[in-house]
Amino acid sequence: MSLPKAVYEELEKVVGSRNISDKEYVLAGNRAQTPEIPVRHRSADAIVLPGSTEEVAEIVRICRRHGVRYVGTVSGGIPTAYATEENTILIHFKRMNRILEINEKDRYAVVEPGVRHVQLYPEVRKRGLSYTAAAVGPGGSVLVNIACTGGDHHNQYGSSRPTRYLLGVEMVTPEGEILRTGSLEAGAGWFCPESAGPSLRGIVKGYSGNAGHIGIVTKCAIALDRCKGPAATRTEGVSPHSRIYMDDECSRVYVFNYSSIQDVGRAMLALGESEVGATVQKYFYLPLSLMMTSSANEFWEKWDGFRKAFPMPLVVHLAPHSVREREYEEKILFDVVRETGGVRLPRELERWWEEHMDYFMIVSRLQSVLRLGGSWLPIKTGGESVRHLCDIGDSIREFIHDFTDTGKIFDAPQNYQIIPMEYGHFASFELLFMWDRTDPNSFRYMQEFCAASRETDLKHHAHSMTAGGYGRAGEALGRLYCDCHLWAGRIRHSFDPDFDPDA
Amino acid sequence: MLYPKTTEEVREMILAARHSGGGLVPVSSGPPHFHGASVNPNAETLDLSRMDRVMAIDRRSRYVRVEAGVTFGDLLPQLAAHGLRLNLPFLPRPSKSAVASALEREAVLMPKYQYDYPDPLLTVETVFGTGDVFRTGSAAGPGTMEENTSDKVIPWGPGPFDYYRFLGAAQGTIGVVTWATLKAEVAPSASRLFFIGSASPDPLLDLAGKLLLDRVPDECVLLDRTAFSMAFAEPGQEDALRAALAPWTLLCRVCGYERYPEERVDIYGGYVADACAAFGLTAETEPPFPVDPAQIERMLTDCDRRDTYWKLRRGDERELLTLVPPSAAPAVLAEMSASQPDAGFIVSPQVQGRAFRIECGLYFEPDPRQAEKAEETLFSLAGRLVPLGAYFDRPYGRLPELLYSDPLARGAMKRLKSIFDPDNVLNPGKLCF
Repeated sequence: MSLPKAVYEELEKVVGSRNISDKEYVLAGNRAQTPEIPVRHRSADAIVLPGSTEEVAEIVRICRRHGVRYVGTVSGGIPTAYATEENTILIHFKRMNRILEINEKDRYAVVEPGVRHVQLYPEVRKRGLSYTAAAVGPGGSVLVNIACTGGDHHNQYGSSRPTRYLLGVEMVTPEGEILRTGSLEAGAGWFCPESAGPSLRGIVKGYSGNAGHIGIVTKCAIALDRCKGPAATRTEGVSPHSRIYMDDECSRVYVFNYSSIQDVGRAMLALGESEVGATVQKYFYLPLSLMMTSSANEFWEKWDGFRKAFPMPLVVHLAPHSVREREYEEKILFDVVRETGGVRLPRELERWWEEHMDYFMIVSRLQSVLRLGGSWLPIKTGGESVRHLCDIGDSIREFIHDFTDTGKIFDAPQNYQIIPMEYGHFASFELLFMWDRTDPNSFRYMQEFCAASRETDLKHHAHSMTAGGYGRAGEALGRLYCDCHLWAGRIRHSFDPDFDPDA
Repeated sequence: MLYPKTTEEVREMILAARHSGGGLVPVSSGPPHFHGASVNPNAETLDLSRMDRVMAIDRRSRYVRVEAGVTFGDLLPQLAAHGLRLNLPFLPRPSKSAVASALEREAVLMPKYQYDYPDPLLTVETVFGTGDVFRTGSAAGPGTMEENTSDKVIPWGPGPFDYYRFLGAAQGTIGVVTWATLKAEVAPSASRLFFIGSASPDPLLDLAGKLLLDRVPDECVLLDRTAFSMAFAEPGQEDALRAALAPWTLLCRVCGYERYPEERVDIYGGYVADACAAFGLTAETEPPFPVDPAQIERMLTDCDRRDTYWKLRRGDERELLTLVPPSAAPAVLAEMSASQPDAGFIVSPQVQGRAFRIECGLYFEPDPRQAEKAEETLFSLAGRLVPLGAYFDRPYGRLPELLYSDPLARGAMKRLKSIFDPDNVLNPGKLCF
């Protein structure tokens, strides 16, 4: 179904004829299925490219007036970035790709939605600064990553989850109004996310993002931290066949293997109490093995050895201010590892981490993970204390072997990561599983696996993930989480009167 | 006055107020009250002081869960017994509720542990103005409070909204918070307190920014000599201490923890000395004060347990609280100190040095006319600070008159209020409600 001509013309007046299209070849390019997402995307009826917040607001008002749905998108890395129903347009932010400000003194950057990590990260890095963003790769949108979706960062042990770094926000509400939050709403600039009183920051993002349901974020400020690690790195080759050189005496990477997740947790907490390390993570060994090899054949040659060598790797990056402090941190690290039963990996394996330090910053090798030609899905993407998440890690064995031993999913039962944040005050979790997407039953297996995971968590009343969904649609889980689906439905309805929480 | 003991009683009182059309204003700290958030002639006081249980102290996951009536005076010794400490405001009164302090976003002394403005607040239980009981973050579920096996420490959510942010600095207008989980930190095993004096606050602001960018100090706070002497002098010794002080002093404490503590203190003390040298400043550990530096260090990590609270040494006090980014801090501070040369100033770096909370205190003999004059003076000053970049995110007294000029943002807040407190039962008339 195509967009009514009158609506198309109204939108065209806002963005100009070069920035709107309903041509099939343009729409097809914006619904292309990515291999890891096991669904075909519906085609939008048109795509518009606004150039400013005011144009976004006008587009939203036109859509509302004519009952046209819209979906905002930048990199299309998540299923919610596509049309799911008829009579929908895509609002693509590729023209709104300006870094509006990098304020070194107040330590924030202001960006539009189209700014990718590959644009912003080098700019802040050369100023000696950094930021945390979910590890989506250099092509991901900074704004979407931090303001609109969930997600955790591999480097958040010595900092925090990206959500902590969202400051002032400008957004277009479903009624087409331009709302500003935090210090911005009082005319005091971008630096503070909180309102004077009940904070509107609370409607922008919770544990997860709200996928544009409360509004389209058109500008946001993100807080900047000191860049930990070398200020500059010498590189060789072209990604993914590249390496970097750790020329800095203050930067070291160590990797240890453990046989028990509870021991990993003890190590994380002990390191956190001493505030030692810039990065500490229990990484998943399957993607790691894929990233450490350069072809599917090489992976299959080495996988058996890798899975025995590091089924439960604890990765530690030390990045202190001086060599003396590095030696102090190494002393504590090795004490902790000895007390908790860790075994250091052979140097040739450990060296891979050192030579791919960009992994800690913004993952540029993630695509290697899809080399086997399967699909993947992250589940249990929640956060809690290190103690609780280690218990959840332990509970995975209660159900996963029914799937790994029967070939329904890839046989990698320890393939989950735990990344502490704020020096171990809490952590994030992710169970990543892969399956053969050419198997006609694979979609059903995937659903069964997700259900088994959920049943196990509920049996233990474990907080492995947050509850989402608005109104009646979120009832199944929401009723177990203080009826949060009802409150979420009311909030959404108050900002989008067209949304019916009882539907 | 109503004195609930349980969440269920709070709920019943709110439902009764809804039914009768009355108002309720929660208060959880003991007197003296400074900001007037809990003063409301149109509401009955809901005094939460009987809700005084310490529900959990967890050394491993480093948190404490307390009911709203638990005060710093009661809580700090219990935490110390577990080897833990709180990220405290500067020398709070013992009667201050630990939950209220975090909810009000009071300035904290250890900005390196503060990643976001609501920190150290993690999760809360609240009774909304509707009478519904709700828990935020990972305390929400799955299941009841007793069933949920998590530590209930993740603040965000549940789902796509941050409910705890609706409650912070809301002055009780959205819900009555009955308990909160607060982040706790490991108590240090060794420490060194530095005194860094300067004729002007500007180099000290820059120094604090640099040290916090590198995450060097634990406690870090800048005081002018009036506030310093009021806070730390023995009774009758204020003038002697004041005379020995530089106009501005940055207190900066580095710590070592359980493993090799002295070594860390040495290394981090070296970083402080190096940074001071780069700014042309000197870090002293034993300044020639008529007060023992060790006593100052002890006071920095506790509440004020003396008979007279330090802000009330002259009898009464009024204060103006503002938040500024580093770029605006010098101009705002210059205007404040030029306008009020006799005031006491506390400048607390926040969120890892990305902002400063500035507190300007006027101290005077108890006298209603003096109090009224001080309030008028500070309100007038606040108006002059807005164009300089000051942000009043904790708007007490008349400050709301300077805010809420954006009709859309004001309308959005009212939408939230109408969801959580549709009958305007909670602290009616406060903020923009």
